[in-house]
Amino acid sequence: MTELILQAIYSGLLQGGSYALIALGLAVVFGTMKVINLAHGELVLLAAYVAYAVESAFEVSPIVAIPVALLVVCVSAVLVYFLVDRIQKDRELNSLILTYGIGVMLTNAVLLIWKADIRSTKSAWLQDAVVIGPFYSMRSELGFFVLSLVLMGLLWWWLSKSWYGRAVRAVASNRDAAKLMGINPRTTEIVSFVVAGILAAFAGVALYSYGVIQPPLGHALTVKAFIITVLAGVGSIPGVLAGALLLGVVEALTVTLLSSALQEIAGMGLFLLVLFLMPNGLFGTVARRG
Amino acid sequence: MKNIRNHLAAIIVAGTAFGVVPAHAEEFLVGSEVPLTGTLARVGTGMKEGIEVAADVFNRRNGKHKVKIVTVDDESSPAKAVAAVEKLASQGVVALTGGYGSNNIGPASDAANKANLVYMTSGGVDENLSQRGYKTFFRINNTAGYSTAMVGLLADMGAKSVSIVTSTKEAPADLAKDVEKILKAKGIKVVVHSFDPAITDFKPIINKVKLQDKSEIIAMVGYENDYVGIIRAAKVLKPEVKAMVGVWSLATAKMASDFPDLMPNVYGTALLPYPAEFKTAEGKEFAETYKKLFNKEPDYLGQFGYVQSMLLFEAIARAADAGTLKTGGLPAELRKSDKETLIGRVKFDDKGDNPFFSHRMGQHQSGKVAVVWPKDSATGKMNFPAVPW
Amino acid sequence: MNARSVAILLALVGMYIAVPLLLGPNLYVMSLLVASIAIGGVALAWALLGNLGGMVSFGHAAFFGVGSYVSALLSMKLGVPVFAAMFLGGVGAAVASIAMLPTLRLKGPYFALAILAYAQIFRILATEWKSVTGGSGGLSSIPRLPEIAGFDFGSKVGNYLVIVTIVLIFALIYERIRASHYGIALRAMHDSEDATRIVGVNSTFLKAMMLFVSAFMTGVVGAFNAHYINFLEPDYGFSGLWSTIPIVAAIFGGYRTILGPVIGAVFVYLIDQLVFKSYIPSGHQIMLGALLAGMVLFSPTGLLPWIVEKFKRSRHAAA
Repeated sequence: MTELILQAIYSGLLQGGSYALIALGLAVVFGTMKVINLAHGELVLLAAYVAYAVESAFEVSPIVAIPVALLVVCVSAVLVYFLVDRIQKDRELNSLILTYGIGVMLTNAVLLIWKADIRSTKSAWLQDAVVIGPFYSMRSELGFFVLSLVLMGLLWWWLSKSWYGRAVRAVASNRDAAKLMGINPRTTEIVSFVVAGILAAFAGVALYSYGVIQPPLGHALTVKAFIITVLAGVGSIPGVLAGALLLGVVEALTVTLLSSALQEIAGMGLFLLVLFLMPNGLFGTVARRG
Repeated sequence: MKNIRNHLAAIIVAGTAFGVVPAHAEEFLVGSEVPLTGTLARVGTGMKEGIEVAADVFNRRNGKHKVKIVTVDDESSPAKAVAAVEKLASQGVVALTGGYGSNNIGPASDAANKANLVYMTSGGVDENLSQRGYKTFFRINNTAGYSTAMVGLLADMGAKSVSIVTSTKEAPADLAKDVEKILKAKGIKVVVHSFDPAITDFKPIINKVKLQDKSEIIAMVGYENDYVGIIRAAKVLKPEVKAMVGVWSLATAKMASDFPDLMPNVYGTALLPYPAEFKTAEGKEFAETYKKLFNKEPDYLGQFGYVQSMLLFEAIARAADAGTLKTGGLPAELRKSDKETLIGRVKFDDKGDNPFFSHRMGQHQSGKVAVVWPKDSATGKMNFPAVPW
Repeated sequence: MNARSVAILLALVGMYIAVPLLLGPNLYVMSLLVASIAIGGVALAWALLGNLGGMVSFGHAAFFGVGSYVSALLSMKLGVPVFAAMFLGGVGAAVASIAMLPTLRLKGPYFALAILAYAQIFRILATEWKSVTGGSGGLSSIPRLPEIAGFDFGSKVGNYLVIVTIVLIFALIYERIRASHYGIALRAMHDSEDATRIVGVNSTFLKAMMLFVSAFMTGVVGAFNAHYINFLEPDYGFSGLWSTIPIVAAIFGGYRTILGPVIGAVFVYLIDQLVFKSYIPSGHQIMLGALLAGMVLFSPTGLLPWIVEKFKRSRHAAA
């Protein structure tokens, strides 16, 4: 039993690492613009399909596709920004509808271009088992887990040390005050979308490298990312990471201790519990009660 | 006198060969309601290809009658499936072929029955579909055929314990329940792990199989993405099982070429070996037409779509000849069908079910798929015990 | 008789007499109408919650699914007459919404996603509670609408008349609530929740009432759909599409108006099925996405207010 639980925790942590990468993109944009980008999951999916396109066209490892994915997804993310920016009134509600519409377009574009077939990497190297003591995983899972930790570390460093990063945080905490300090909120908003695009690009290539992708997947990714930002509370990178890891571990333990059919319920239950009992999330500072 | 008749026949044959259509030739519209978008887009597209191949072959072979397919996407939604059937009915189709998912087929075949149109499918295996007493409902496959094949293979292996890993979606859950019941009745130890279709990491489940169940066989009931996830998890954890057995969408050419390192020794239902060795003239014609139209190897979805549609077209032709097509004679004509097809013998009972349907089991062997069960249609020897790792 | 009542009378005549007479024989178009008006009903319920309660929900599928299951099971297992079962389906959805009361304290997107979580949980419960719901295999041969006094409500035209009537009744209820002092209090609440508290209105109670009403309406439409389609499974009854398409329709038609959501639903559904689908047979929803995005950007108040605006302007110009 101990062995089972240990492996479940390990699997859950690795899964949580990739959740964190997706959720962080959503959280950064929400921080600066108070906009929930419902097309974020589709951006991740787009990166995954770019990885597929590059792998199948040039017969190379999907990791090689990362620069292409970065380019495509960041450009798409900035396009999303320019559309969201055009909304004139009631941005909180209308941006939901707009980004939902963009998500629908992206899903169907993926369907039209790459068809409905399931896709995943052919690379055997990425899927080979890595065994560390009692812990089993695929090489790609462990590799991308480490990579996502590094990315999050970089982001955290950037947000706290660099001028742009601090500007992003300033806009997130008090837009008007930031304006007075000479920060152009528009620039920081674009920057936050680019950051979200970068995170989505890595997350997408990771997804393609250890998982299976198909066109309707994007929406589910967005929902999962949102749940994590709620668990975390807005405004903290370590919070998002912890929330994501917690979700991953709870899901895996549900499978081990109860039944795999109940995995989704466990995640949703955790989400509601935190929402009701800890109104600021596990680590957040911003109130979300009306 | 005899000579003249021969000459006449020759002229008529020559005439048709040059595309001169005899005056009494009629083109029949046949409706096809299939999912081309939404969750069932993949399987729906596969079936549609088979339907188009059937129409192409039929039109070439049958000089007298022609069929024309009108396709409407049901978007994997019951309400749109109903609307699709009604749209096709209003366009004057003589029958319908297509349908995927019992949840869509149910209401769609209801609508077809109301319009007095034959509904022919291979996409829904739910028991209830054929229990409604409709004269117009026909299908060439059912759950029993799949569970017989899976259980038959497991029995040949002499399995004493089986872990069933199954999706909670309708068709897999149904089949898994069937298989569990039959195996238990045979005194085989069975543990069932059902999973939510949204799950992506199967390691926690496979680890339970490895450390708790310690079963000899993992039986997978799900869809392509589930199989890939399960086999990958098993490759990492390497449970001490003797075989990985699945059902539909697994022992296919597509899986062999897309996931070459995952598939070795994996079992799944397969009508034909791959590369396809079509022995009959009809099989050869099917494969050639398929390659011509879609530039790829035919898969099982195409084969089912082809068989169901060809049976339907032939019955339409017979009914037209007998003059009963317009007076509702098509169901009766279909019930007269008794034919050896690409999927085996097909004959419909009064509920529209095909009691002769029994699937075969194939195994991925060095990049190919060999049929290994039942023994009399086997094209290769079963590698057992053997797993992909 | 003023212009307004003439317009209403004409609309009623059109809906109850002209449509069945002219389009009745065309089952395909009638099917599209029935499906789109049902979505319109959900959209109206969604807009009621958004407009009066100030809450944006992403999980109306929860109410839709509960309503459809309650009604289907009551009529199949206990033999409850279909129309009564449909009403009880709505009641069931309202009862289910009691579980959601804690969400009322949450702000905007948090409320939206909390309701979505409920919809997911209900879906999985319906899948796992096999002894009652039939599990993922679902329920088949759900009784159709009955024949009463020689008129077959189960026919296409019958189904159409039933759903049109249901949605009209809902619109009337909505209108009454909005005009009542509850409605005034609710709208005051939008401007300042503190202000209403001072005047002595219990805002959480009012919001809860709106949640019940919205859940009830959605549940009844779900129940209707179950008896119309005659099949039900968890993935279908609790499908996310029952949450998203009505939102699209409501925003498109103008969610601040009462009939905007219904008109939006019919318009979006018909243009998608009749126009977009004929140009892009698979993947036509890409056009729907574009339409939605364009609407938000260029006419954020929705289709109906936009048309009214145009109409007024042209009248001004004429005068």
